[in-house]
Amino acid sequence: MNIIGPDTLVFGVEDTSACEQFLLDYGLSAVGGGRFEAMDGTGVQVCSADDQSLPAALPTGSMLRKTIYGVADQATLDALKVELGRDREVTVLDDGSLQVADDLGFVLGFQVTIRKTISASMEKINAPGTSVQRSINEIGVVNGAQPKPRSLSHAVYFVPDAEKAEAFFRDRLGFVTTDRFTKVGPFMRPAGSTDHHTVFFIQTPPHMQGCEHFTFHMGGPTEVMQAGSNLESKGYESFWGPGRHIFGSNWFWYFKSPFGCNMEYDADMDLHDDTWQAREAMPGADNSQAFLLQYREKWAPMGPPPKP
Amino acid sequence: MAAERWILCALEDIPNPGARGFDPLNEGKNSVFVVRQQGEVFAYRDRCPHLDGMTLPWKKDNYLNAAGQAIQCAAHGAQFNIETGLCTSGPCLGQYLSKLTVGVSSRGQISISKAELAGGE
Repeated sequence: MNIIGPDTLVFGVEDTSACEQFLLDYGLSAVGGGRFEAMDGTGVQVCSADDQSLPAALPTGSMLRKTIYGVADQATLDALKVELGRDREVTVLDDGSLQVADDLGFVLGFQVTIRKTISASMEKINAPGTSVQRSINEIGVVNGAQPKPRSLSHAVYFVPDAEKAEAFFRDRLGFVTTDRFTKVGPFMRPAGSTDHHTVFFIQTPPHMQGCEHFTFHMGGPTEVMQAGSNLESKGYESFWGPGRHIFGSNWFWYFKSPFGCNMEYDADMDLHDDTWQAREAMPGADNSQAFLLQYREKWAPMGPPPKP
Repeated sequence: MAAERWILCALEDIPNPGARGFDPLNEGKNSVFVVRQQGEVFAYRDRCPHLDGMTLPWKKDNYLNAAGQAIQCAAHGAQFNIETGLCTSGPCLGQYLSKLTVGVSSRGQISISKAELAGGE
């Protein structure tokens, strides 16, 4: 199954204005109708919790109503319809996309991907021992920059049965497990992506089922830091980070959000293909981050400039 | 006796209904929040029972859900009863926020006990 990755996360929320402002401050662009997009067109759909067009909420009250995956082409969509139709109802929506419930009750959508090919320079660095990446006289830091999220990276789910979730995504959707936290769950990537993970499942009690966080890719660690600092300066509260993960190597910074889950920035995630051998580690601080930094308001050792 | 209490703010400084967070110990993140609901005032430690050390709001002073009828932790959507601090849905279902005794002076100043705040959670 040539699934590329998540195209859109659909939320049903009580406080639409707070959620929409949060997404704007996060850096996504409003394109109308409650839709907010990253540079490549992937994004978040904000709906009112009582919107009758939405799939029903999980019994836990999680605000995530649907995860829409982008697939490579119509042939993949047709194959998914046949495969999933073997044991469950597959609804074809007016826009041609498929809608199904997975084995844990999460509603999934599948559509020919809306991802646009983007061209944007990544963060470039220089170091002794290598050829120049960032050109002579090219400035590395723009103070006050407001970097834009590039692409919807991944979503993480609290699930009551991580093995069942992994089996469904592996056996029915063709995802591959790239790494695993023991007794927690797998990091998985779809066949059409080399990203270390577009999904991670966390085993929890049933009353927690829902979205733990979701994330957009940024152009590099400096963009993660600057975007996160911009959120901090607007009064938003950090959940975890900034830091750098070990599994996936992605830089991270998580923020609490009005979506009842965390929203993360990431950058520079490892890429893998089918030759990769999945690793396994115990969960916990030592295995989940290479280092963890902490934000504080801007400060300078020499204090403010002298008075004229 | 006043030195034994942290004066947080005037009652009028909190929206009704509404909430406000405080950092009386200058820790760089809030340790206490106060909820005002009709004629009553409630104070809790600003720590979610689900995760050690985690403050509740997604943005400064946003401790209540959209309807203003429950305290919520933005990290994973936990909801708590305003009067009792009981978690009614979310990861810490059945657990309680740590309640603090709140005082309102005759001049309308809201305060909490320094000793109670310094005590264990």
